[in-house]
Amino acid sequence: MKLKYLVAGTLGAALLSTTAMAQMERGRDGNANIIYWQAASTLNPYLSGGTKDIDAASMVLEPLAHYDENGNMVPTLVDEIPTVANGGVSADLTSITWKLSEGLKWSDGTPVTSADVVFTANYCMDETGGCQQSAKFGGVKSVEALDDLTVKITFDGPKPFPYGPFVGATTPILQAAQFANCMGTAAPTCTEQNFGPIGTGPFTVTEFRANDTISLAANPNYRDPSKPAFATLTFKGGGDAAAAARSVLETGEFDYAWNLQLAPEVLADMEAKGQGTVLSGFGPLVERLMINLTDPDPKWGDERSTVAHPHPFMTDPAVRQALSMAIDRPLLVEIGYGKAGKVTCNVLPSPAIYDSPNNAGCEVQDIAGANALLDEAGWVRGADGVREKDGVRLSILYQTSTNAVRQDFQALIKQWWAEIGVETELKNIDAAVFFGGDQSSPDTFQKLYADVEMYANNFDGTDPEAYMGNWQCSEIPSPDNAWLGGNMPRYCNPDYDKLVKEMAGTADINERARLAIAMNDMLMQSYTIIPLVHRGNVAARSNTLEGVKLNVWDSDLWNVADWSRAK
Amino acid sequence: MLDAPKKPLVRVENLKMHFPIFRGVLKRQVGAVKAVDGISFDVFEGETLGLVGESGCGKSTVGRCVLRLYEVTGGSITIDGTDIATLSGADLRAKRPEMQMIFQDPQASLNPRMTVGSIISEPLDEHEHMTRDEKRAKVGELMDAVGLARRFADRYPHEFSGGQRQRIGIARALALNPKFIVCDEPIAALDVSIQAQVVNLLEDLQEKFGLTYLFISHDLSMVRHLATRVAVMYLGRLVELGDAETLYMAPRHPYTQALLSAVPNPDPAQAGHIERIILEGDVPSPANPPPGCTFSTRCPRAQAVCKQDSPAWREIGEGHFAACHFIE
Amino acid sequence: MLNFTLRRLMFTIPTLLLISFIIFLILDLAPNDPTGNLPLTIPPEVRAQIRTSLGLDEPMYWRYLLWCKQFFINEPLNLLNQWFGWCIGDCENRLRVTSFLTRSPVVDLIAERMPQTLWVVGMSYVVGVLIALPIGVISAYKQYSWFDQFGTLIAMIGFSVPTFFTGVLMIVIFSVMIPQDSMFWLPSIYDTTLKVVDWPSFVQQMRQMAMPVMVLALFNAAHISRFMRASMLDNLSQDYVRTARAKGLKEKTVLLVHVLRNSMIPVVTVIALGIPQVFGGAIITEQIFKVNGLGQLLIIGIQNSDIPLVQTLTFLFAVLIVIFNLVADVLYGLLDPRIRYD
Repeated sequence: MKLKYLVAGTLGAALLSTTAMAQMERGRDGNANIIYWQAASTLNPYLSGGTKDIDAASMVLEPLAHYDENGNMVPTLVDEIPTVANGGVSADLTSITWKLSEGLKWSDGTPVTSADVVFTANYCMDETGGCQQSAKFGGVKSVEALDDLTVKITFDGPKPFPYGPFVGATTPILQAAQFANCMGTAAPTCTEQNFGPIGTGPFTVTEFRANDTISLAANPNYRDPSKPAFATLTFKGGGDAAAAARSVLETGEFDYAWNLQLAPEVLADMEAKGQGTVLSGFGPLVERLMINLTDPDPKWGDERSTVAHPHPFMTDPAVRQALSMAIDRPLLVEIGYGKAGKVTCNVLPSPAIYDSPNNAGCEVQDIAGANALLDEAGWVRGADGVREKDGVRLSILYQTSTNAVRQDFQALIKQWWAEIGVETELKNIDAAVFFGGDQSSPDTFQKLYADVEMYANNFDGTDPEAYMGNWQCSEIPSPDNAWLGGNMPRYCNPDYDKLVKEMAGTADINERARLAIAMNDMLMQSYTIIPLVHRGNVAARSNTLEGVKLNVWDSDLWNVADWSRAK
Repeated sequence: MLDAPKKPLVRVENLKMHFPIFRGVLKRQVGAVKAVDGISFDVFEGETLGLVGESGCGKSTVGRCVLRLYEVTGGSITIDGTDIATLSGADLRAKRPEMQMIFQDPQASLNPRMTVGSIISEPLDEHEHMTRDEKRAKVGELMDAVGLARRFADRYPHEFSGGQRQRIGIARALALNPKFIVCDEPIAALDVSIQAQVVNLLEDLQEKFGLTYLFISHDLSMVRHLATRVAVMYLGRLVELGDAETLYMAPRHPYTQALLSAVPNPDPAQAGHIERIILEGDVPSPANPPPGCTFSTRCPRAQAVCKQDSPAWREIGEGHFAACHFIE
Repeated sequence: MLNFTLRRLMFTIPTLLLISFIIFLILDLAPNDPTGNLPLTIPPEVRAQIRTSLGLDEPMYWRYLLWCKQFFINEPLNLLNQWFGWCIGDCENRLRVTSFLTRSPVVDLIAERMPQTLWVVGMSYVVGVLIALPIGVISAYKQYSWFDQFGTLIAMIGFSVPTFFTGVLMIVIFSVMIPQDSMFWLPSIYDTTLKVVDWPSFVQQMRQMAMPVMVLALFNAAHISRFMRASMLDNLSQDYVRTARAKGLKEKTVLLVHVLRNSMIPVVTVIALGIPQVFGGAIITEQIFKVNGLGQLLIIGIQNSDIPLVQTLTFLFAVLIVIFNLVADVLYGLLDPRIRYD
């Protein structure tokens, strides 16, 4: 329903813009400068997994469909997104049929056909080529051309989310004619092709200097005659995030800078110069607390932090809720991330359609409420101010990785928890060890030999199915599965597992959203995962550059065709 | 000698050379090394004046001051009627050809990156207007004069032995036909067998070109052999000056006496008669010389007056000068 | 001298082979992986495929020999083909040393970087030397004067203040504080695509070089001026200087002909030994001003475990260092008549 509406909307908008801008000429705004502080190494995203390379290539090469800034799919080289409803996806969910738009041309003037799509699939699925995006083609049995404009992708089983291949900047369409001799082991020898792919995108490569600068010019055969507004574009690489930010916000030499992971006050100071604007976009990355529902007491030996021994007090929902209520999330955002963070009460805050509206209560700190809740649950303050019940003291070991922002968070949270009568001991572990997964180390985030731990996680793409699947009973890390598995809180709820299974068999995107929200709410309302900050990407644009929409689901430069110079 | 009207070519009066001492973070001047502290003497045309003294007494400094290789602190140096102590720049350079120097270390005093030919001819470039061929011819003559084969002109100094290098140094000094040459320990760095050759060469050249020498040395017997008159120096001052024979036979100043008593006498018959005078103590620092007579701290005849008053430099005989309270 | 040079050149061959093997060994033993920088979302089996396609599953000695063949045989043959059009063997499909990261021939990448590195780092070396020599000479001649003290201060700053500080400071002054329409404004980002074809583009090139060149020149000048000063002081107190003065030479002649020429002997060799650094680029300064020369290429290669790139670059640096050591020795022999090698 929603997709259809969107498709219609985009089409309408496209129509509108073509009529409104009929007098607008391609290349009217001269040159634009983009800086990526990591330089692009190649323009063939199949040979590089790096974001910088994928983003650079996205100005030249295009997929069949891409994601907009809200994580919704938008048609690029097709007229509509295939769904079960419109018959594009087979009822048994094992195949998807894409229909290319008519009249599309490569930048060299030759027509785009389904053969190009089939070629691209074969190019990446050739095992000897070292294709870095082959995971996107996981489960693909065959890709065949039904006619000049129709491509059918068949999977080896039902695929409720069949939008892996050719959706998003990571898997664009290559021109078969250009890459014909570059299959398999020959892939790396095709320097000329990899550095100057012929594409359908708004720009074409005029000069590619690996790990340095790409010079681009407007594609004369781009499908919209009024776009792109810029005749040429320079994509400069190198330096560091601070220098890139400076070049846009302070010196005004560049129009757009990517991925500015800088301290909030540094960016704010630069932005105050008035040359440019800091943009932020939010993917699914959430800084969260994971509550250990099992007992990490060393006395249990090998059974430490396993489901064999429930936690002495974290199993009490009132305690978990009180811990969450005591946290001042807006303050954490302000101190740690500034524009690059926002308050969230969900572990799945985006894409927007998956963001649950049901948990907004956590946004305001409520120490009094937390105290009342604990009083009611029978946790009484002892002589030292720490609450206890039946000889169990609310004393917590709180671990995270070593990182300045995280240690600030630890200190603040310890103080708030002290106000509700909870004693906290802090521990920080080197990131390489904490996330390293070394079986012999007691300090990995999977073993969770602590009562609470803090880290951030997210997922690739826009589909949360695998991510939400992390908190099934079967995903609990334990010595039996070599501590693999993403269910750190050791949360186990048959109702939750049922929702995970249901999602695996559901194709309708709205229905999938309903299921994901239900799962998120289950986790949130049980307070086993306590979200803290929704972390985002930060970019900067010059105040004279218009049309930039920061997109965390696709290339930063996904809509570079729409960029223009402010008059 | 007596009948010839003696005309001083060089007259040094009250020459002073004080080197400042800088200390501390700000490099402030905290004192001065009084290397030469008020000496006067004449060098007569055609003679060789020997200047002797212990190491560090300031004799080399005197040599360099006389040629204005240092900016002197005070006094006057009149060479051939011109006071060069205050000359500078082009005027001084114009005077240079008249006065030259032969250095102690023939290795160090020759620019290692220049050939012998260019070392000798360089002053000609500067002071004479000669064609290439004229210069070549002149260099050849000079090399002949000092006993070097002309074919060595294209070689570098390091290819020669010590004696040959000193010959190069001499040839170089002669290039501008100087009247006055300061020989600063010219044989000290040479083997004994070579020393005699070089000294003989210097004597021959003096005769041939009518040169006047200031011969600085600590080798007393060599000075006796060469010098017409001898000046003795102690701690920046002259203590005695006189005709070489007189001075060697009858030294008057206690320091001269002590110095000469250390010279091995070539005549074994006389050797036993001379009593060696051993001086006690070390030479005081020229930065902080003792008050009164500078020799008073070691002088066997020192009295109270020596510690207070500096003895006057006075003539005690015909052309014989000394600075001591007790010489009549 | 010729014999000496030839003999030394002969010795460099085994030395360089050994160096190349050691570099290879170090890179191979280093605990990093070309797929290590890929996003965590790329699964392990895809990583294994990538490693296979890069040839990393071959044994170590085989990969070394392959590199040797590509570098010592294929690349020179390819150069012959490119420069003279001579085609020896299969010149179409000859396997060249290929970067993991860009999948393009490493030698081409290096050639692409040469202009900006030579312009910026080379120019900074030249400027540094040109500044350093007079400062060193005057500092020594006027030892302990205010000029000498000032020169010492500048040298101390050049030595001790890191280029990432001076570089950013200059950017803040010349790119941020000075308005962009002022003639003193300088670009903070180097445009490698700029081609000098006329006067305005030449001016543009000078402007964009100004800051990185000055930052690096300060550093180089600090180094060399101290050498120059020490060497001058050494020679100023030599007897032959006194001889020269006694000859009645002009002070300028004494200083420039006698003292300077002798003082230059060690300085020239120091300068020659420093030239490989020019080709090595200036990693930090190149990063700050986005010059993207050889230094930046090397650092990107290291960060991404691009073994062929790092191997080739480091080896070329080794070659340059060995060659310039030889050049320094030969220069010493030429300049100082006391040194004879045969």
